[in-house]
Amino acid sequence: MVEFRAVTKEYSNGTMALKNVNINITKGEFAFIVGQSGSGKSTMLKLILKEEDPSSGEVFVNGYNVSALKRKEIPYLRRSLGTVFQDFRLLPNKTVYENVAFTMQITEALPKEIRRQVPMSLALVGLSKKANVYPRQLSGGEQQRVALARALVNNPPLLIADEPTGNLDPETSWEIMKLLSEVNCRGTTVIVATHEKSIVDRMKRRVIAIDKGSIVRDQKKGQYEDEVKNKQVCG
Amino acid sequence: MKLRTSKYVVKEGLINAYRNKLMSLASVGVVTASMIILGVFLAVAINLSYNTQKLSEQPQIVVFCDHELDNKQIKQIEETIKSDSRVKKYTYVSKEEALEKAKAKLEGDNDIFEGLGDEFLPVSFIIELNNLKEAENLALAFKAIQGVSSVRYSQERIDIILKVATWVQIGNVILVIILLAIAMFIIANTIKLTVFARRKEINIMKYIGATDWFIRWPFIVEGVIIGLIGAIIGFVAISIFYGVASSKLAEGIGILTFVSLGGLQFEVGYTFGLVGIVVGVLGSTISIRKYLHV
Repeated sequence: MVEFRAVTKEYSNGTMALKNVNINITKGEFAFIVGQSGSGKSTMLKLILKEEDPSSGEVFVNGYNVSALKRKEIPYLRRSLGTVFQDFRLLPNKTVYENVAFTMQITEALPKEIRRQVPMSLALVGLSKKANVYPRQLSGGEQQRVALARALVNNPPLLIADEPTGNLDPETSWEIMKLLSEVNCRGTTVIVATHEKSIVDRMKRRVIAIDKGSIVRDQKKGQYEDEVKNKQVCG
Repeated sequence: MKLRTSKYVVKEGLINAYRNKLMSLASVGVVTASMIILGVFLAVAINLSYNTQKLSEQPQIVVFCDHELDNKQIKQIEETIKSDSRVKKYTYVSKEEALEKAKAKLEGDNDIFEGLGDEFLPVSFIIELNNLKEAENLALAFKAIQGVSSVRYSQERIDIILKVATWVQIGNVILVIILLAIAMFIIANTIKLTVFARRKEINIMKYIGATDWFIRWPFIVEGVIIGLIGAIIGFVAISIFYGVASSKLAEGIGILTFVSLGGLQFEVGYTFGLVGIVVGVLGSTISIRKYLHV
């Protein structure tokens, strides 16, 4: 599903963001990428979305050789995956419904399709009643759920979430994580970049830890830190 | 592009232009102002070239025949003139016509011609040229024809007309190019503000997989709407202004003839329409370029 082969990324200002990274996330997996800010996890997501190109090595996503993709083909790569960001990135001038429907309009989907898919997606995140409300009228958690509905409306095989709970309180964060988990249960591969220890520990999923551009740990059913130093954290 | 996408594009362009009312209004104002300046220059240019055109249409060479020539000889001269490729058009002036003209010129003093026939007057040909520059050569050539007594042409006047026409044309082209460039630059900048205000939206669209053209089209529609509205307002303003100014000026300056309002409106109309569209399209395209590279 997502594969990094000997990927190195050096930014033009000389910063080494990734050093010879190899990972393989297979279909149906739920994986956390954890690390401090500046560790290189954002760079990994940027490479997946082809916001940046690797300095060397190859990135494969959903069968696309991302590093070899032409500029014109980028939109089609991005349509094949759903993306959720820390700052939600909803269109402020569109209602919740329009925001979700827009993702389908872009792909020139049939209006009939749109009318069927959008309510389904909104129902999945529990926001059917807020369809005609503008994003600014929603709480942070609700906005993130709209973003999630938008990411899922095209039924992408892969969902990428960049610090999805970074702007949310712990309670709401946990709800979003439960939703992501549910999405994963329906067969979607989910990759979440985060530095929130408590959530990672509680989820008990694959954890890829990255530090100063190198993978330092890759563990099935892992936790944020190597050993559980603080037993009370676990729920 | 599918039909529903075209619908989306037009609707989105309209909505965007309306949502950013203030910015759109500012842009329309800039376009209108540029169009009015452009329109004034166009009006001046059109009238200048119209007047030089009129001047150059006046007879340029007059060939006088010996007044003793018989019809056959005159016919021969006419053939020579007719067959010359440099001649655009010629008019035959018979002896009787020459007398009429002379009488008309002297108006009240017609008694002078009392008792005189037209025998003493020469037959002449009034000639228009294809190219004014050939006047001198042609005059010399005609003078050499047997039976031609004299050739009259005004080199000085022809020279002035030629010079004025050339400079008016060059000046026009330069001024119009400069003006268009300025208008485009200002409009591109104004639209850049709209684009800048919506750079986040553009960014989001890119992330959810919108193609460049899908993002670009609504902005182009918006630019064209702004350009066209500005052009229409400018057109109305120029029409009113020209109607008043040309009639006032025509009274003051007798030698100049002014192009009719309708004639001007046609030229200004399609120029404005074209400029409005081009400026809108280019303005949007230039402004949005930077934000598409995500």
